[in-house]
Amino acid sequence: MTVTTRRNILGAAVAMTIGCTGLMPEAVAADYPAKPITMLVGYGAGGQTDLVARATARVMSADLGVPINVVNKPGAGGAVAASELEKSANDGYTLLFHSNSVVNSAPFIMKQVSFTPESFEYAGMITAYQVGLATQKDSPFSTLSEFVIWARENPGSSYGALSPEARLYIQEIAKKEGLDINIVPLKGGAGMMNALLGRQVVLAFSGGIHYRNPDELKTIASTTTFRHPSAPDARTIEEEGYPLGMDSRTTLFLPKGTDRAILDRLSAALKMAASDEEFKTFTASANIPIMYLDVDEAYKEMSATYTKHKGIMEAAGLTAQ
Amino acid sequence: MDHLMTGFMDVLNPGTILWVAAGVTLGYILGAIPGLGKATGVAVAIPLTFYLTPVAALGMLIGIAKGSAAGSAVSAILLNTPGEPSSAPTALDGYPLARQGKAQKALKMGLFASVIGDFVSTLILILLAAPLARYALLIGPVELCAILLFSLTFIGGLSGGSLTKGLIAAALGVFFATIGLETETFIPRLTFGLLELEDGISLVPMAIGMLAVAEMINQAGNMKALDRETSAISDSAAHEDRVITRVEWRRSLPVIARGTLIGSVIGILPGLGASVASFLSYGATKNASKTPEKYGTGMIEGVAAAESADNAVVPSSLVPLFALGIPGSVIAALLISAFVLHGLTPGPLMFQQQPRLVAAVYASMILASFIMLIIGYTCQRLFAQIIKVPLRLIIPGVLFLCCVGAYMETGSIFSIYVMLFFALIGFFSRKLDFSFVTFLIGFVIGPNLEFTFRQSIQLLGSDITNLKHHPISIVFIVLTLATAWWTGRSNSRKAVVK
Amino acid sequence: MRRANIVSGIMLALFGLVMLFAVIPWQIETAPPGFVSPRLVPNITMVVVVVLALLLVIANWRAPVNGDDAENASPIARVELMALLRIGAIFALSIALFRWVSSLAAGASLMVVTLLTLGERRPLPLVAIPAAILLATWFLFYKVIGTEIL
Repeated sequence: MTVTTRRNILGAAVAMTIGCTGLMPEAVAADYPAKPITMLVGYGAGGQTDLVARATARVMSADLGVPINVVNKPGAGGAVAASELEKSANDGYTLLFHSNSVVNSAPFIMKQVSFTPESFEYAGMITAYQVGLATQKDSPFSTLSEFVIWARENPGSSYGALSPEARLYIQEIAKKEGLDINIVPLKGGAGMMNALLGRQVVLAFSGGIHYRNPDELKTIASTTTFRHPSAPDARTIEEEGYPLGMDSRTTLFLPKGTDRAILDRLSAALKMAASDEEFKTFTASANIPIMYLDVDEAYKEMSATYTKHKGIMEAAGLTAQ
Repeated sequence: MDHLMTGFMDVLNPGTILWVAAGVTLGYILGAIPGLGKATGVAVAIPLTFYLTPVAALGMLIGIAKGSAAGSAVSAILLNTPGEPSSAPTALDGYPLARQGKAQKALKMGLFASVIGDFVSTLILILLAAPLARYALLIGPVELCAILLFSLTFIGGLSGGSLTKGLIAAALGVFFATIGLETETFIPRLTFGLLELEDGISLVPMAIGMLAVAEMINQAGNMKALDRETSAISDSAAHEDRVITRVEWRRSLPVIARGTLIGSVIGILPGLGASVASFLSYGATKNASKTPEKYGTGMIEGVAAAESADNAVVPSSLVPLFALGIPGSVIAALLISAFVLHGLTPGPLMFQQQPRLVAAVYASMILASFIMLIIGYTCQRLFAQIIKVPLRLIIPGVLFLCCVGAYMETGSIFSIYVMLFFALIGFFSRKLDFSFVTFLIGFVIGPNLEFTFRQSIQLLGSDITNLKHHPISIVFIVLTLATAWWTGRSNSRKAVVK
Repeated sequence: MRRANIVSGIMLALFGLVMLFAVIPWQIETAPPGFVSPRLVPNITMVVVVVLALLLVIANWRAPVNGDDAENASPIARVELMALLRIGAIFALSIALFRWVSSLAAGASLMVVTLLTLGERRPLPLVAIPAAILLATWFLFYKVIGTEIL
């Protein structure tokens, strides 16, 4: 908190200097970046998003010619880091690398979080999360429609959910098809894997970690709007007739009011990362697809998904707690 | 086996040995410094995994993990400030030994027990990873809930003075663990609108506050008396106070064997962790002893029991990762990072894709065990000198390092407030004889206890008769009741007023 | 210890009651139907605390009085309480310095003032110990590891 206060003062001082000397912001942007950049990450060190952030920071730093210091500020699904970014100076030296779910989903789930797409500026998006419905390889069903038929014949089956979104999917499907399914709460990727491999649940919502064990687990449907590159044959939930596809991507967030030239510069560096060989090997082995979006596309994606997710969650009767 | 030989070839070159040794040394020293520890090791390790070759990076990570687990015994024994809750039982007997001038003996036993527990557990990982992980999957939420309940009761019962006070501390620990977003509904609990509390109170600053800061305040209050003791006894000159005698070895070896077994089993199971292992091992040893009342006054077996179990958890917690791709611990999550960064998918595929690298990982684990022995043995003589330094010179530095360690976890001053709050609780619980250790165990396993309880309600379809499909959990429920009855009875025999 | 047990038992029971009837209903909302109530486990733990705390009070109240000083003596000595207050004040000062001056000043003051409070008067340790520890910390994190911790 002290840091932010100091940064705010610094930001105010910089703004005043600019104002007094009549220096235009473009002049600042022209020699950007001139000093090390701080990259906040809203998850703890060592997690999947943190790894992508660090790998991205490495390529970007080489391209920008200044060091990028990755700082983990975990808490409330990234909301703690995002609030910190909101209070930072919009000079392009503090940015947040995080899933855009902190803006397009978290506000509908957590009452304390009230971000909108207008809360930040965006310098692009780089990877996507392969969220979907996973089951054991030898399950009697391989698609969502087959699961619905099976679940109708086997009432009282168990489904593993690790978040309110995960519950939403099965509740909506169960409501529409009139199914009787027990929802078992799970904690994190490890809990989900344990429950699936230990056959405590027949189906589970996965953030993509189940691709690590392709000999025993399979995807029956992706809950994104695109088919997963790791399982191109599994249809999306929308193809199956449920308009519930929700995408999340790792996004470069900047404080509101950051100069467009700075965003473009960062976006160019982000594009370098997307095509970097080492970055590709790493994301491939972690089953993380690269789906680069530039500044304009990122803004469009952000407001489109915000509106769509809001609609889906409100229709499902999910209220922010 | 062929692969293992190749793996050894890959590891046994000066470059890799150097990185493994660097990892063990760094881990051991960080673990030995009060306030710093595994959390610091994690911060250390992440940037490194980007720059080293896979074998060197993995070797170094494993070295840090093993080293910090063993090193945390040092501050527990010498200063009574365990770096992590899992070393708290080491301090129970290690610190009295150090105050009696037998610091070197306690340090040596801590080191040997650590190395043996670690080495045997590593062998188990190498030989039995796949079948064991299969068996561990039989332990579902219903079984786990019963096991957790049993552990909590068992540990609450051994807290000493009074079962009532022990259970109050445990219940308070579980209560504090409920703070934050509830995992099922995402409803915030007792957060008072603070975003920092949404993910709950983080263990590192809390443990540092209760274990280290509170103890430093306590020692500051009794500094004169403690310093007088120090100048009187210091390090004993007698040879048998500095080494482990043959008789002590004979008494301690079965204890180490049991500790290793407990640690290995608990490491494989999801959601229990090193602190439960070391306390169960300590408690089992105390219960099996003919002189349980002597524990807490400087029994060498107490150190052996706690450290062997604590360290056996590290390798065995990797079993689910290697066999099934499930990260079972913080270190496992870190290893995943190192694996994927070098283009290797953690999980069963590793054995087909890159058997040679897996073998190299195994080889560096064995190597790390041996390096740990050498480094620990060299350092303990040096570390033991700490006991001679007057407390007024030690306390300020320890307090500062506690702040560094707590701050690093979240990078926010809020962690310092958490640390101070629990230092206060820790201080009063020490004085009023409410076991702060039971409180910590309650806090550590609280979230899992609650969560598996909720899962069980769903899995059993809210019908208790469905328990008949879960024989393992019935066994543990019976054990829990028996433990409560047994400790309650032996407690009521003692006078209420102590 | 007897008196301390009774006092702490009463305090804990009060804490539990306040939590049960005021703080938990105020700070934990009820869940939508179909969920296990988020209040369930906090409530269980607080009921356990209240019951056990009352048990502690009753057991100590009824225990035979043998009139020695030990049962009424405070388990916390005066010097220990003073140490707690002093170190608390030192932390307050350091946090203030951290927020309004700098982290370096906070770290240095934490160590120097504690050294002074604990009775160290020689100038060399007063300067050398904090300087050495700060330098070592800086060297370890910024140079060896390359992680900025602030």
